[in-house]
Amino acid sequence: MWQAIKEFCSRPRRLKESGILGMNCRNYAVISACNKRSLYPLVDDKVQTKLLANKIGITTPGLIGVIEHQYDVKNFLEYVKNYSEFVIKPAHGSGGKGVMIIKSYTQDAFTTPSGKQLTFNDIYQHISNILSGLYSLGGKYDVAVIEELVHFSNIFEKYSYQGIPDVRVIVYKGYPAMAMTRLSTAESGGRANLHQGAIGVGLDIQTGNSLRAVQHNVPVSIHPDTKEDLLSIKVPLWREHLEIASKAYEMTDLGYLGADIVLDRDKGPMMLELNARPGLAIQIANGRGLAGVIEKIEKTYPKNLSWKERVDFVLNAH
Amino acid sequence: MLKKFLTVRAILTFGLICSLIFAIYSMYYKVALWGLSFNPSQKANVWTIEAHISFQPTGEPIKVSIAKPTISDDFKILDENIVAKKYSTIKDGKNNRIILSAKNMSGEQNLYYQLLLFDNEQNSGKTAASAPAKPKKPILDEQTELNMQQLISLAQEMAGDAPQKIIRFVNQDTPDASVVALLPMKKSPQELLDTIQNALSIQGIPNRRARGIKLEESKKSFTPDYMLEAYVDGQWKLYDINTGKKGKPENFVLYQRGGISLIDVEGGENSSIQFSVMKSITSTTKLASKRAALNNQENSFNNSIFNLPILEQNTIKWLTIFPLAILVIVLMRNVVGIQTMGTFTPMLLSMALVKTGFWPGLICFTIIVTLGLLIRALMSKFNLLLVPRISAVVIFVILMMQALTLLGFRFSLDIALSAVFFPIIIMAWIIERASITWEEDGAKNACREVINSLIVAIITYFIVSNDYIRHIMYVFNELNIVILFIVMLLGTYTGYRLTELRRFAPIIKENK
Ligand SMILES: Nc1ncnc2c1ncn2[C@@H]1O[C@H](COP(=O)(O)OP(=O)(O)O)[C@@H](O)[C@H]1O
Ligand SMILES: [Mg+2]
Repeated sequence: MWQAIKEFCSRPRRLKESGILGMNCRNYAVISACNKRSLYPLVDDKVQTKLLANKIGITTPGLIGVIEHQYDVKNFLEYVKNYSEFVIKPAHGSGGKGVMIIKSYTQDAFTTPSGKQLTFNDIYQHISNILSGLYSLGGKYDVAVIEELVHFSNIFEKYSYQGIPDVRVIVYKGYPAMAMTRLSTAESGGRANLHQGAIGVGLDIQTGNSLRAVQHNVPVSIHPDTKEDLLSIKVPLWREHLEIASKAYEMTDLGYLGADIVLDRDKGPMMLELNARPGLAIQIANGRGLAGVIEKIEKTYPKNLSWKERVDFVLNAH
Repeated sequence: MLKKFLTVRAILTFGLICSLIFAIYSMYYKVALWGLSFNPSQKANVWTIEAHISFQPTGEPIKVSIAKPTISDDFKILDENIVAKKYSTIKDGKNNRIILSAKNMSGEQNLYYQLLLFDNEQNSGKTAASAPAKPKKPILDEQTELNMQQLISLAQEMAGDAPQKIIRFVNQDTPDASVVALLPMKKSPQELLDTIQNALSIQGIPNRRARGIKLEESKKSFTPDYMLEAYVDGQWKLYDINTGKKGKPENFVLYQRGGISLIDVEGGENSSIQFSVMKSITSTTKLASKRAALNNQENSFNNSIFNLPILEQNTIKWLTIFPLAILVIVLMRNVVGIQTMGTFTPMLLSMALVKTGFWPGLICFTIIVTLGLLIRALMSKFNLLLVPRISAVVIFVILMMQALTLLGFRFSLDIALSAVFFPIIIMAWIIERASITWEEDGAKNACREVINSLIVAIITYFIVSNDYIRHIMYVFNELNIVILFIVMLLGTYTGYRLTELRRFAPIIKENK
């Protein structure tokens, strides 16, 4: 009993020694110090992010169209008439809410990846909901983004139940600092949200190889649904992943950001979205603290390097 | 980065210290000069002393002169009243007397003089004063003088200071011969006091008599007690003339000092004066204005919340606990790390609980949220747009509140009656948020969100509903400024949250 209390009381000190970044410290000393508020709209709005990204040379899923007004909703088929598959999502969404993927469709029957059949009316309702702000922060009016489907590289297929894994890279002052990939499970309902039971796999920032995997904060080594060995993951085209992350800094000027990158089997790594307030669970997936990494970057990494030089620096750092 | 952050913290800390100093200073004022108390049930005693003067008129013009009491510092006069029909009243400020006069009265005359006193909470019984003149030597016959000298020299054996020595000596159970010679066996207090005063005057110790009243609940028909005041060590000190006990007895009002008569009656005979005492109780805040005025604090008092009409005071009473509730919630979220539905949902919930009472509020809340979720689940089939949908939920909540209130009235269930105190929009918002979480993250997460918010609300409720805390937050409303700075300082807190100690525990274990 006494031992347990003592252990608990010594935790703040030991967390500090492990370089763990806490929520308060992240908000106060990192986000509010590195990220200018006026820059948030760049990343909170997926349309703006996409346009900016394309300008600076980051590939993103192709934009099919944006539906901004309720009267336009009924015309959505017009937008996608040249595409056999598409994705509809809210421009200001988060946590995968409101993302609807259509793999194939006819005039009145739409099929999702899980095989669910939807009607024209379902899609109409869904877009209306997006416009009315159902999925946006604070219920503000939103717009619906229609974009091309990413064809996920089948390298990942066996590691994920239904959903498609993406790679999250935390970028501090332009340097990729920490990375993980999130694998959906049956428990998480095919979604890549860790708090719903998805698996977080920490990735070595220099190689893209998995370090360790956790589910619900507890280390795991095989995927509960696909039974694959989680510790043997090697993300291909790792350098390209880091380049996207590094460029995101030039693109947004955000000192602390999270870049979500997916691997398309034809077009290579693509940036799905950026986040100005990336969460802290990545530390658990990596088994190490962000504060330590941030401090190292702050103190020893050179400033004023180009995105390419920063990637080189990270890949060659010790 | 670090530098900027240190100075912000330094500024806020400085602000906090300043506000603390200000709060302490102003609390001191309120306690010491306005008589306000930290204790909500603290009552101030108001004593009514009534002097009843009766006499038979002789037929000549009547003139009654009453000494206005010289009340000591520890009690203050709240009000003064004369009941004397057909008498004209003159206040003689110079001699501090009240003069009542009348002509052609017949039959027994009964006049009343009432004084309302309240405790001023500065018990001392000693009054510093500049040294008075040496007392005149009393003129005594030779025999008495001799006895006196003997009494004084023998009294030196007794314990205590000079007055105490004399008092104790003359009050011995088996009195010394010198005492027996000076005082009869059954001595009156006046006689006793005369002897003591003479003995002190011979020694050159300034002294005077004092009369006072021991305040006790419902005391009738008594005459004020005699006490002795002697000037010792640069101060007037009070002595009990029977025991020599120094200092003012508890609840004792000094009514009169020196030798002046309490009452003089011209044109009357067989006059008597009888006192009675009554105690009544009021709250400290009610007396505050009077006390403040007595301490020359009228201006600052008139500008304080206590001078507002009752209705506004009640509103402020209600407002002044909000900052504390906010502080609790900030602590819960940023230091403990409990995720709640928004910041103000738990706060408004806890305030509603204060109005409804704990259990009725909790039961009502559960009923409204459960029914609301059911209705919301049915509604999600209609696929309504967001704004109309949440509006519909608001209307459902209002309908439920009406239904509960009606039911509560019909079956006299107090529990249901408390429904109206819940903030409608907040309830609708909770239902809407919970049902979205339910659809997207499952029932477990939805319940967790609601329960977390409720737990925080309940903790806040227990702090905010405490009588002491509410009273202190209201009476000492300057604490709100202190809270403001604490909240802002918490905005610079970068340490771990309590829940993070658990969340990140797996990483520590690994690094060991
Ligand atoms: N164009 C797309 N093609 C295929 N899957 C997508 C596409 N866009 C989003 N998704 C899926 O939806 C998830 C959430 O999308 P994202 O754009 O990151 O929105 P959010 O801001 O809600 O996280 C992604 O992790 C991915 O699995
Ligand atoms: Mg995402």
